Amino acid sequence: MEQESKFGRRDFIRVAATAAAAGAAWAAAHPSSGTTVWQLDPAKCLQCGRCSTTCVLNPSAVKCVHSFEICGYCDLCGGYLQPGAKARDSGAENELCPVGALKRTFVEEPFYQYTIDEELCVGCGKCVKGCAVFGNGSLYLQVKHDVCVGCNECSIARNCPANAFQRVPVRNSYLLKTRENGGKGHK
Amino acid sequence: MASTQKRLIPAWLWAGVAVIALAAALALFTMDRRSPPGASFAFNVSDYARISPKDVLFRETQRIAVNVPHPRAMAAARDGSLFVGGENAVLALDAEGKEQARFAVEGTPECMAVSPDGKLLLAWRNHVEVWDARGTRLSVWPDLGERACLTSIAADDKHVFVADAGNRVVLRYDPDGKLLGRIGEADPARNIPGLNVPSPYLDVAFDAMGSLWVVNPGKHGLENYRPDGDLLSSWYRPGMDLAGFCGCCNPIHIAFLSDGSVVTAEKGLSRIKLYGPDTTLSGVVATPEGLQAPETQALAYDADPPVKEVAVDARGRVLVLHQPLCAIFVFEKTDDMAPK
Repeated sequence: MEQESKFGRRDFIRVAATAAAAGAAWAAAHPSSGTTVWQLDPAKCLQCGRCSTTCVLNPSAVKCVHSFEICGYCDLCGGYLQPGAKARDSGAENELCPVGALKRTFVEEPFYQYTIDEELCVGCGKCVKGCAVFGNGSLYLQVKHDVCVGCNECSIARNCPANAFQRVPVRNSYLLKTRENGGKGHK
Repeated sequence: MASTQKRLIPAWLWAGVAVIALAAALALFTMDRRSPPGASFAFNVSDYARISPKDVLFRETQRIAVNVPHPRAMAAARDGSLFVGGENAVLALDAEGKEQARFAVEGTPECMAVSPDGKLLLAWRNHVEVWDARGTRLSVWPDLGERACLTSIAADDKHVFVADAGNRVVLRYDPDGKLLGRIGEADPARNIPGLNVPSPYLDVAFDAMGSLWVVNPGKHGLENYRPDGDLLSSWYRPGMDLAGFCGCCNPIHIAFLSDGSVVTAEKGLSRIKLYGPDTTLSGVVATPEGLQAPETQALAYDADPPVKEVAVDARGRVLVLHQPLCAIFVFEKTDDMAPK
């Protein structure tokens, strides 16, 4: 006699639990496209310095970030050195950053790597302006989402003279400068 | 029993205090929390862009509209005609800028030159093509690989020199495209420092005597080479003053006048200057204001350099290819600077 296949209560619970777990995993990996956060468009940024003083946090949640693929690894770095610096070294009198957050490491003659100490960076954008004017524009500002408290009305956005702050989807929460996007920070 | 005891502080005073406290709280929440950043956080670069009018030796006498999208390459022929390469097209113009011909190409040439026999040498990112002036492709030279980034080309009777910024070298070819040598690679035994190219700008040009000059942008100067790669001379001028080349890598383009003077174009602070044969600064051809990109760019400094090429035509005029405005700016010496 052929046994009738039965879909019992136990099977139903198994399928339901599997579907719920898969749904939760998918939701975690793909937040709603309607969920947005504040971000700074580097193509619009004027490096006015207000990011450092108008954020509700002190120091600001805006930090300098570095696109290594755009950087020229220059010895004479416009973002690191004061214009007219007497020496190209890490002497405080030669550094452009007022808080010493930009670090310089020798790679090989004549190239140096530049990194940002985010603990020190206040987001003033001074190095960003130096890099934009005298270099390749590889240094730029971004809202760091591990620091940002996510105000509904961003205090910096309210004060930004270039209207450079915008809401971006949380899944693409950084507007990174790359060679592909021509260093504009977005496609 | 109803309380008839009189309050010590009247209700209106309580109300006043409450209003003041509320106003103070609102003010605290709405006003900027901190004072503006101090002087050490300020960085005003406009002082470096300022140029005294007495230093400007040239004036713009003509602006030739270039009817091709994203013009990127330009060359002046010995007969006075001009060629401009842009997106999917190359234009031939007469000396006054009137379009004589155009032909289609695939993509955008990065740079171009006119050989002494009138052929057009067009360089893409990693290869060179030879065309005739009527738009027939004559030959395609071998692909130089993914790392190549060709940025400048110059040709004389015997050689074609191609600047490869990606590999930091100038390649010497014969007119048929056979690779003959490499110029500019570091060689302490020959006292060659090596080309330092932090960004994709490496220019080559011949002086009035036909000698090859190569920009060493990371060292902020020019180097003069024999065709076999021997370094003849060099001069470097890093500095923030007008006579110097500032930034990570400058100059980005050069061209020579018949008297041996060299025209240099810079990025960052977009300006064009003239240096005499003795390498001293003669003056300014075009100021940053004169070369400013359209206002649509929020940050003029953080954009691609607007100047894509400089050239000197048969009449000694300085030609500047301005990409955002799709135009060639023509500069001529002001009257009081004309040879007496």
